[in-house]
Amino acid sequence: MSAGREMITQRPVPGHPRPYDFPHTVRTELANGLRLIVTPMQGRELIAATLAFRNGAVDEPAAVGGATVLAARALTEGTEVRDAIELTEAAERLGASIHAEAGWDATSAGLDVPASRLAPAMELLAEVVRRPRYPESEIDRLRDERLTDLLQARADPRRRADEAYVSSIYAPSSPYRRPAGGTAETVAALTPADLRAVHARAYVPSSAALVVVGDVEPDAVVQIAEDLFGAWSGAEGVAQAPIDDTGAVDRRFVRVVHRPGSVQTEIRIGHRGLPRRHADFFAVSVMSMILGGLFNSRLNANLREDKGYTYGASAGFDLRRARGPFTARAAVNTEATVPSLGEFFKELALIREELVSEDELRSARDFLIGVFPLRFETPGPVAGSLSGLFIHGLPDDELAHYRAAIEAVTAEDVRRVAHEHIRPERSAVILLGDHEAFAADLEAANLGPIDVVRDAEPVAPAEEG
Amino acid sequence: MPVPVVEFTDERLANGLRVIVAEDHLAPVVGVHVWYNVGSKHEVAGKTGFAHLFEHVMFQGSANVGKTEHMQLVQAAGGTLNGTTWLDRTNYYETLPSHELELALWLEADRMGTLLEALSQENLDNQRDVVKNEKRWSYDNRPYGSWSEKLFGHLFPVDHPYHHPTIGSMEDLDAASLEDVSQFFATYYAPNNATIAIAGDCEHDQVMAWAEQYFGPIPANPAIPPLPDASLPPTLGEEIRETVEDRVPLPRLYIGFRAPVYGDDRLDALELACQLLSGGRSSRLHKRLVRDERIAQDVEIGPWGFVTGSSVCLGVATVRPGVEVETVEKAFFEELERLATEIPGEDEMTRAKALTEADELGSLARVEERARRLAEYSGLFDDPDLINSLLPRYLAVTAEQVRDAARETFRADNRVILTYIPAPGAATDGEGGDTQDGDGADGHQSSDTGEEAA
Repeated sequence: MSAGREMITQRPVPGHPRPYDFPHTVRTELANGLRLIVTPMQGRELIAATLAFRNGAVDEPAAVGGATVLAARALTEGTEVRDAIELTEAAERLGASIHAEAGWDATSAGLDVPASRLAPAMELLAEVVRRPRYPESEIDRLRDERLTDLLQARADPRRRADEAYVSSIYAPSSPYRRPAGGTAETVAALTPADLRAVHARAYVPSSAALVVVGDVEPDAVVQIAEDLFGAWSGAEGVAQAPIDDTGAVDRRFVRVVHRPGSVQTEIRIGHRGLPRRHADFFAVSVMSMILGGLFNSRLNANLREDKGYTYGASAGFDLRRARGPFTARAAVNTEATVPSLGEFFKELALIREELVSEDELRSARDFLIGVFPLRFETPGPVAGSLSGLFIHGLPDDELAHYRAAIEAVTAEDVRRVAHEHIRPERSAVILLGDHEAFAADLEAANLGPIDVVRDAEPVAPAEEG
Repeated sequence: MPVPVVEFTDERLANGLRVIVAEDHLAPVVGVHVWYNVGSKHEVAGKTGFAHLFEHVMFQGSANVGKTEHMQLVQAAGGTLNGTTWLDRTNYYETLPSHELELALWLEADRMGTLLEALSQENLDNQRDVVKNEKRWSYDNRPYGSWSEKLFGHLFPVDHPYHHPTIGSMEDLDAASLEDVSQFFATYYAPNNATIAIAGDCEHDQVMAWAEQYFGPIPANPAIPPLPDASLPPTLGEEIRETVEDRVPLPRLYIGFRAPVYGDDRLDALELACQLLSGGRSSRLHKRLVRDERIAQDVEIGPWGFVTGSSVCLGVATVRPGVEVETVEKAFFEELERLATEIPGEDEMTRAKALTEADELGSLARVEERARRLAEYSGLFDDPDLINSLLPRYLAVTAEQVRDAARETFRADNRVILTYIPAPGAATDGEGGDTQDGDGADGHQSSDTGEEAA
């Protein structure tokens, strides 16, 4: 043992950073309008390939709510050549699993596959995207699974609170008011014809990008893409209608979803936020980190590390093609419900009114800048970011400029964007919990009008005290 | 498609700290993983949940680091971090840009050496409240949230250290004292009870010099108490059933078996068996219960490897509306029985192995995962080279071995069947919605879970 030696008390200074640049990316386009985005990453043998379509749940008519999500999920349920099981097995033999999903903004179909089997795996991907069969029997099953999932969501405090929140902050005319996967009403009515309509409208080369990342030769990828997708024709991408993101919060109000016996209250506070393509994106990124992103963010430092009210408190903007939600959130023990609201509103007011400290600003900027090489260590996240640029119509060199833009954010910028984009006096407050346990305190807190929603609920089982 | 070999060095400081270094300069990032050979299995009656509460205290500061400053410094360095507690271990890890490696080593050494100098009643009370809210959030206020406590309670006898949950009980958390923290630290948080693995963009000689400089002064504990004998019969010896009423809209089955200990190659075979049963849409259970007969909303089975006495193999299936629980249970066990009696086909085996190999290629590409595996295999098995030898071992499993593993584990006298049913009056009106597009079912398992600090 090293008897007598002392611990080093002095914090080490960082070494010299190794220069890091977002990997060089090759972009080209096929005659049919399909964009090809290829990023070689040496030594990354598991390739990520994604076909991203600039078409999501937000683009579908309200009457077929859920069709886009279901159409993506059903993409791998069989093609003109193979049924779902044959397709899965063919992919598995290559060490690949094909997945397809849709969200509010976009639809994607992709796979991860070892480099040596990229070409045959891409053939399967092309088959899935270009020639899906949408068999009625499998659609019936997927539709029932979605309906059952909605039933489950109703009983899950987190998901129920999220649902109550979005349905409170958007106007009835906005698609963001409902779940991207549709409601029980619209989902129950979906037919294979509805899904084929989504396919014809959305899965077209002129609104798609093929992103391939890993240890690949760009020329070889372009050749594969030309062979598999060169003859792909599809309806000219229809011009997308503007997205209705009308809000429904013109003053502060409280909505309690009563859950008798609940040992915690799920809190959601906020209103609609801003779209991804916005001049304030970088300042808002830094501000969100300080308010509710970093471990030592103001909300977490206060509600968790000072008060012990919660396992974690956070806040952030869901940046979509249109104005997605801004949400501050936590799950707190029931007795802490109303005191927590006081702390939330204190922090929301503070960041709007006063300049953040130099330390806070530096920590947030340094995190966003420093974590860059970690974010992009492997092909999957690189492909995800490149798809995101395409979906949001952002410039190709956005990621090259990212760090400098974050570095340029000032404390005054942070205050300005907080003031502009956070509106505590016009926010919805959703509380999913045992209303009877905090009703009187809530009333006394005088936050605004209160309404109470009572779901059909079971008698609470005995819980810890 | 060979998965690349991970080259590493494996040395010990004079105080017993094991230091493993795996250089790789592809990306300018480095992973640091500190593994302590202490988990909730070291807790005694009346002190459940303590190992995990202690893990939280490890982020409350040490002699030269303030409360939560560890988190702050690593994040401001552009790093990510966390800590987790599980039955067999407690681990702490950071991933950082490589020029910040020295910071992580200093931070880990400072709390390994001087935690008690910063310990306060206030911080302990605060983290006790945080952990109680973690328990409420992850278990008490969640549909089906009691399943793991119940299943492990049945699979392991009362006096076995896996019987109680890692999160502990509210009563025991309330009882934890500063004296408990001091004693636990002095006993288990010694360098000779830990491994630190560093993987990624670093230089071996420099790392070893830093390790000596920062960790070298920390004294060993020559008297770490051995775990009392906790060996178990390989099977339960009976079938155990429990029905639980919960505020859930749909019934769900949780099934548990005892299984060979982690490290036993029969567990590799069982893992492959479970891959055939529920890995992907063409797997046996998924195909029959979800796709063909449409009696289950979801189905899954997989082994959770533990080293003391017995592992477990856990299954779950959510019953579709209008279907009898018994129908699902019967189909579930029939598929397990079929695998236990008939040798699986060659194509099925080949596909399962190809997927595993590709997954491994993806996992080992990340420095965080390489550091984690090296530390885990060293801590649990004294064999960090398992990072290279486990996959070949897994790929060598034969169809006969899969059948045999299924036959030994999936026995009627070796299973716990936990049936959740909606409590009277439970909501089943089918209205409402959600904001996610995932396969909503919660309670899905991962084989290496645990309680996290954040």
